[in-house]
Amino acid sequence: MEARPHSRPDSEGVRWGRGAHGLPVGLLALDRACRVVRAPGAAVADLSRVIEIELPSGDTAPVVRRRFGQGERRVVIAAGIRGDAPEGIRVAHRVGAYLEEHEDRLSGTVDIFPCANPLAAHRGTRNWPFFDTDLNRLFPGKEDGHPPAQVARALCNDIAGAEQVIELRGARPAFSEASQAIVRHDHDVSAELAMHANVSVVWRRQPGPAAPATFAHQFPGSIVLEGGTGNRLTTGVGNDLADGVLNLLVHLGVLPDEGLPFHWAAIQRPLLVTDAQVHRVRAERGGLFLPSGAIWSEVEAGGVVGTIIDPLTGEAREEVQSAVSGRILAIRELPVVFPGTMVARVVTA
Amino acid sequence: MTVVFSIEAPYRGRYELHRLTFGSGSPRVAIVAGMHGNELNGMHAVNMLAAALRAQRPKGTVHLFPLVNTFGADEARKRWPFDDRDINKSFPGDPDGTAVQRIAAALLEATDADICVDVHSGAPHVRELPQVRVPLSGRELELGRAMGLPLTWRRAGARLEATGLIGAWRDAGRHALHVVGGRGITLDTGHSATIARGLKRLLAHAGLMRTADPPETVADVTRADIGVHRAPTGGFFVPEVRVGARVKPGHLLGYLQMPIGGDRIGELRARRGGVVVTVRAWPMVYAQELLVRVAGTEDR
Repeated sequence: MEARPHSRPDSEGVRWGRGAHGLPVGLLALDRACRVVRAPGAAVADLSRVIEIELPSGDTAPVVRRRFGQGERRVVIAAGIRGDAPEGIRVAHRVGAYLEEHEDRLSGTVDIFPCANPLAAHRGTRNWPFFDTDLNRLFPGKEDGHPPAQVARALCNDIAGAEQVIELRGARPAFSEASQAIVRHDHDVSAELAMHANVSVVWRRQPGPAAPATFAHQFPGSIVLEGGTGNRLTTGVGNDLADGVLNLLVHLGVLPDEGLPFHWAAIQRPLLVTDAQVHRVRAERGGLFLPSGAIWSEVEAGGVVGTIIDPLTGEAREEVQSAVSGRILAIRELPVVFPGTMVARVVTA
Repeated sequence: MTVVFSIEAPYRGRYELHRLTFGSGSPRVAIVAGMHGNELNGMHAVNMLAAALRAQRPKGTVHLFPLVNTFGADEARKRWPFDDRDINKSFPGDPDGTAVQRIAAALLEATDADICVDVHSGAPHVRELPQVRVPLSGRELELGRAMGLPLTWRRAGARLEATGLIGAWRDAGRHALHVVGGRGITLDTGHSATIARGLKRLLAHAGLMRTADPPETVADVTRADIGVHRAPTGGFFVPEVRVGARVKPGHLLGYLQMPIGGDRIGELRARRGGVVVTVRAWPMVYAQELLVRVAGTEDR
């Protein structure tokens, strides 16, 4: 029996092995909104497998990296840590398509991890299937852990030493969100850089209790880009974020600004905020939340962002109001809510 | 029965957190089960204990919470089904937060007792010998040993983060015990009865009731005394032992085979003698996954 390339002897010195499998054909086929679409099955010279997870049934699931340019300076772009953020994956491929055409102009290395959690993306779920584990709560991972922990460790090992890490996400599940860049509250350099990310808001965010186990936390200056709609593509946001990533590469000095697919004047000037300026609006009653405020629209203090109705009778139970004047950063689009469920975020200037 | 917390729910009746209280005064013991909606051995065990407490009024107060995550249990799901949040990662909770945060806050407040026990099943893909997980020393170790469960597992500080109920209890200065037995998704009546007897021994040790059940401990170990057998490669795992079995070094614990065709990939043999405390139940396994744990110091 042919041994798998990565099978290893156990403590008794016995080698366990099975047949090997190849990379799924068409892995990098892109969606229609992208400007460059690779034909399924076409060769990809810059593709490397960071780790390959063997599945019990005999198949494999690779986590891949695309590398562009060369040199010690290295920028990492990672997407698909969770499987319900296809927007990030789309943006990673859009950026990859541009870099592939302009690789000779790069002053340094750009590594793109288009999908760190392929099995979750395959299902469109937040968590890694079977283990039902959130990969973004497993970093820095373990080499001898279960497959999600191994992936986390492999990513950290591969990314170690990068000058800048950019994580691409979508919106949180059940929400639509304005485009935003999230940086650590005490990291001035990344906050300054993120102002060029072509987003509506740069949020200097205090780490929560779960932060130490997240991907972004492993790299203190990382910039997290998100927006759009949970588990969906939102073309306008995807285009903005892709342009934003390219603009960040320009400001990092890795990419020249000539020939970019946008004019510099089109880049948004974001609002820079801290946690104190981001206000959660919660439901007081359970029922169906029907939003009335649009993303990035203005709302006055006491203004209604939506109505909660009885799901069986349609009777209005609550008009949900914002406590502050500002703009709607996020609004709930999945209508079922309990008392206490967040239905909107409002950001104040 | 008291409803200590409730919250409005769309499309169905209100969520209610139920508490059964027996006796009054000190000492006070709180026992929680069913926080994960697919782990109901603890619920069965707590209900068995309730039957015993109806026959024998305790000398002190016993609060029982047989099923915290009723909505999850209705759907055989571990987490709160609405937003897929784990109640046991939401402590100390927030009375003004999300539904799960409110449940966590209410549960923490309602379990204000000297001794607190949180009972779980194993994960759905493994079966665990009934066990209590306790610190390496101190009053909780004494209480855990008094339960006389088949396995007393002394552990360092891992998995005691304050976002879990055990950690939150400890932060609040309460003595906290973590009990695990059987397998998720299924009802193990034998293991449930074993856990119920352990809970009775705990109450007897604390002076709340009498019991004639002798201790059932077969292993009292630390991490260093547990042999962990993992899958060297993925495949279909066929166990050859059950939890509670005594094995000697070299004993066949199970084997891995190809899922399609059944070619045997390799065998798993005990590296040490002892008692089998964990066995993989779901046969499709990934490389590095836990298959069998053997607790014991014999013939290492």
